[in-house]
Amino acid sequence: MVTFVSSTAQPRPRGVGRLNPAARSTLISFLAVVVFLALWQVAPILGWVNGRFTSQPTLVVQAAIEVFTSDNFLFHARISLSEFALGFGLALIISVPFGALLGTSQIARELISPPLMALYIAPTLILLPIMVIWLGIGMASKVAVVFLGAIFPIVVNTTAGMREADQRLIRAARSFGATRMDVFRHVLIPGALPSVLAGIRLAVGRGVLGVVVGELYVSQAGIGHQLVVYGSAMRVDRLLVYALVVSVFGYALTQVVRLLESRVRDWRSE
Amino acid sequence: MAQLFLRRRALILGTLSMFAIGLLWQLSVSLGVIDVFFVSTPNLVAQEFLVQFHNGVTLRDLASTLWSFVLALGLATVVGIGLGVFAGWYQDFESALEPFIWFKYSAPTIAFYPLFIAWLGYGTPTIVAIAFLFALTPIYANTLSGIKNVDRDLVRAATSFGATRWDVFTRVALPASVPIVVAGLQLGVGRALTGVVVAELFGAQSGLGFRIAYHAQLLQTTAMMVSIVIVIVLGVILTQMLAFVESKTDAWRVESQTR
Repeated sequence: MVTFVSSTAQPRPRGVGRLNPAARSTLISFLAVVVFLALWQVAPILGWVNGRFTSQPTLVVQAAIEVFTSDNFLFHARISLSEFALGFGLALIISVPFGALLGTSQIARELISPPLMALYIAPTLILLPIMVIWLGIGMASKVAVVFLGAIFPIVVNTTAGMREADQRLIRAARSFGATRMDVFRHVLIPGALPSVLAGIRLAVGRGVLGVVVGELYVSQAGIGHQLVVYGSAMRVDRLLVYALVVSVFGYALTQVVRLLESRVRDWRSE
Repeated sequence: MAQLFLRRRALILGTLSMFAIGLLWQLSVSLGVIDVFFVSTPNLVAQEFLVQFHNGVTLRDLASTLWSFVLALGLATVVGIGLGVFAGWYQDFESALEPFIWFKYSAPTIAFYPLFIAWLGYGTPTIVAIAFLFALTPIYANTLSGIKNVDRDLVRAATSFGATRWDVFTRVALPASVPIVVAGLQLGVGRALTGVVVAELFGAQSGLGFRIAYHAQLLQTTAMMVSIVIVIVLGVILTQMLAFVESKTDAWRVESQTR
């Protein structure tokens, strides 16, 4: 395709502009972080901010080494991770079949939709205090909160995915003698997969938040518990280390789901 | 009659299921399946609601939560749309913001709660700050993609008819991205409410989240349920309001296209 672009529309690249767009974007992102870290480092020294409340990058790195070598990091991480895995696994096992049922049966959908949508919209984290009353201050109440946070996005997205299945494909399959089960297995499930994964990606964020908020609310161990300990002691450096650990975990898991999503998209377009 | 049933089926079945849940809740306690201490009953919750409504607690909590919510969402809207427009128009600015948005997106905002208390003090400012950060990401992300994904053909057409970059921005990019920005706002509403209520759980003198945590400490399930139900209803009402705004902006866009 030939496009005519006037010379004023794209000025001749100068300086960083000579780089290709992707490299330029990475460079600028990198520089922004460097500038931010530099400002953060010097601001307390120059007295712009109170270092007690902001800490400094070098102190955070030091704290990270302390946290990872001592401080029982693995113990706390394992507790938070098992809470997340249990709650999320349970949500997955229940929500996908449940969403499939709602996606294929209109009566079930119309019956369940109002309470389901209300709970999908509502902040399920407000159920945390009552979960603590029901299940105690141990791991069970966090598992429940993760479960409640994760289940609704997956159900809603699975339902939507099943409903948006291509009607022509279904009719074509039926007219070639496919049973309802065949249609479900070979048309609806592959068709809904991208939507299910999108729901899972949303659920990851809510689940991670659930663990942290649950442990911040009341706990005896876990990453959130450490956040409370260092937060109330105003150990900003260690607080940031633990917050960063959660960030990296949430980000990594989201990226894994993203990767799966793009795999599915490639596989479908083949 | 049958036709009426078919047309209103979703509404009828939906109402039916809400009633069924209420009935099940009431019966499971009345028949002694679950202890009333754990779940309370719809009957008790309704009575407690009337008591709290009459002594003004409910209204005060609602006002306090809504005030924090409005402040946070307002701030997130202004900042999110502002940054999103700017980043959508200037590629370099987007690149510079990107790492921070990434961090903001995956970091557990609520973990910084003690820091916010230290910086901003106890109560409303901290609650607003946390809810603001909760709501900011979807509003920013949607505005950004709205501005960036403006129809290239429209831009080229406008430019070839002599529009300046500023004209393209105000006449093409901004109007074209309104629906997706509103969709971002709808996400932001839910997240701002979550932010306010969760922050209130941890430290406040009033508000629905505070009331839930307060009664939880006294193990008063009935009183907790009142605030929990109010929060759920509030979420539905606020989202419906935004859905209404969204349908309006869609209509406006179609209208401007046909003119």
